[in-house]
Amino acid sequence: MTRAIAALLVAALSLARPAPADAYLKFGFRVGATTVDVKWTGVPVRYFVNDRDIPGVTAADMRAAVARAAATWQGVAGTTLRFEDQGLTAAAPVGLDGRNTLGFLDRPDLDRVLGATSLLIDASNGSLVEADIFFNTRFTWSVAPQGESGRVDVESVVVHELGHFVGLGHSAIGETEPLATGGRRVLGSGAVMFPIALTPGATADRVLQDDDEAGVQDLYAPDAANRTSGSVTGRVTKNGRGVYGAHVVAFHAETGRMVGGFALNANGDFVIAGLDPGPHILRVEPLDDADVESFLSGGVDVDFRAAYAPRMAVAPVGGSSGAIEIQVVPK
Amino acid sequence: MLCALASASAFAQTGDTPSVQAHHVTVSGGLVWTSGYAIGDANATLRGNAVGPTAPPFTLFRAQSSVDGSAGVDARVGFAITRTLTVEGGLSYQQPGITTELSGDAEVAAATIDAEQLSQYIVDIGVLWEVPRLKLGARARPFVIGGGGYLRQLYDERTLVETGSVYYAGAGLRYWLRGGDGLRRAFGLRGDARAVWRRGGVEFEGDVRTMAALRLAAFVEF
Repeated sequence: MTRAIAALLVAALSLARPAPADAYLKFGFRVGATTVDVKWTGVPVRYFVNDRDIPGVTAADMRAAVARAAATWQGVAGTTLRFEDQGLTAAAPVGLDGRNTLGFLDRPDLDRVLGATSLLIDASNGSLVEADIFFNTRFTWSVAPQGESGRVDVESVVVHELGHFVGLGHSAIGETEPLATGGRRVLGSGAVMFPIALTPGATADRVLQDDDEAGVQDLYAPDAANRTSGSVTGRVTKNGRGVYGAHVVAFHAETGRMVGGFALNANGDFVIAGLDPGPHILRVEPLDDADVESFLSGGVDVDFRAAYAPRMAVAPVGGSSGAIEIQVVPK
Repeated sequence: MLCALASASAFAQTGDTPSVQAHHVTVSGGLVWTSGYAIGDANATLRGNAVGPTAPPFTLFRAQSSVDGSAGVDARVGFAITRTLTVEGGLSYQQPGITTELSGDAEVAAATIDAEQLSQYIVDIGVLWEVPRLKLGARARPFVIGGGGYLRQLYDERTLVETGSVYYAGAGLRYWLRGGDGLRRAFGLRGDARAVWRRGGVEFEGDVRTMAALRLAAFVEF
């Protein structure tokens, strides 16, 4: 089961695109010649919860789950992000109505989509104007505190979709295996923003991972993050040419933090920000653990083998490592 | 060889006891070698996928890191409180590298990667005690030493500093090539072997690490 992101298209809007040169993946929006982060510029971000009950989950349950998920995101150290619950509404969690609405929606046609977020963006500056999230009633849901086997945990999916709601794209820190019935099964996930959900009943995605926190800090606490963290820079090459879409994971051997980033141009350049200061092991792999389109669109090179950087990269406080080249070979 | 012979002659003429004089200062300089040591193992893990809040983690890869053995330079200044007891301070500089062995990766063969080289400084203070009743010939005097100091390690690009502390204990030998007389200075060679305990610095598990160190230096007494 995959989660999908949808960008709401209206006049003067366009599809969200990845912002260049950062860890995790942020939504970006082209304003003139530059790409800016897609984010909320005014706080608190007010939202409503649809008043619909479904089997196993009342509207009140849903509202409580959303409140917990919102608290999870705004609890990340140093961020200015704040949410404000405006109560229940009969409005559907889709369409332009001036409200940010979350709730259940019947989408039997989307047989692999648990939930989706639509964003309305101000084309003049990339700021978010409205966002809605729907959760697909095609699936059976649960709000059991310890999870419920066979039922999708509401809070886990709300946390993921709220990541999109605040401007984050998908993370690629995860390993999967193909299923005989189609789709892929997650073996391990290092981010709530990984595009494929854990097995129904799992509740691990209620808790943000390092990569998620680095992403939201980048968007909503850049000054604080810059004072205490560092970044690594480099380039992924294959036969001397840049590899667009290569996924690079930085692992800090002392703290165990793992933060990912992407080579987001044809030169294969990458920057991973929000890192703990110190030496990092860099591992690069192709985007082959989920649908490539769930991360980036167009021209992503997945024809190479996973590899390590030839040396550690040291992230200094408030600065960046020297550029490091990671050479990969075709599969 | 010529120098050593000349010195031996001078020492024989003066008939000095092979020992530092009380309230004299000694200055020494030489080479130091330190053995490599582990700085920590780490597993890069992802959350496993199972029902409930926790599941066995999925290991992406394992990393075992160590600081390589290295040689460097060492300079010391000592003040003899008595003929057998000297307080001394020193500064050493070495450039060890970090090596990391990677394994357990389902997609990548086991590999070894190098970190950037470290510039390592140690400033220490300690005591040196010549064992009074223990002599090895006319010119050699064994001693024991112990002390502690400040460790500073900079990554090669000099963008990040790690600090810590070191403690050491060991034993060694002073060998006089020439005794002092008037304006002539006594000088000789000294060597020691130490066990070194290091806390902090570049360290991935927060443990105290133990290593061996050897030092060989020439000294002059003033």
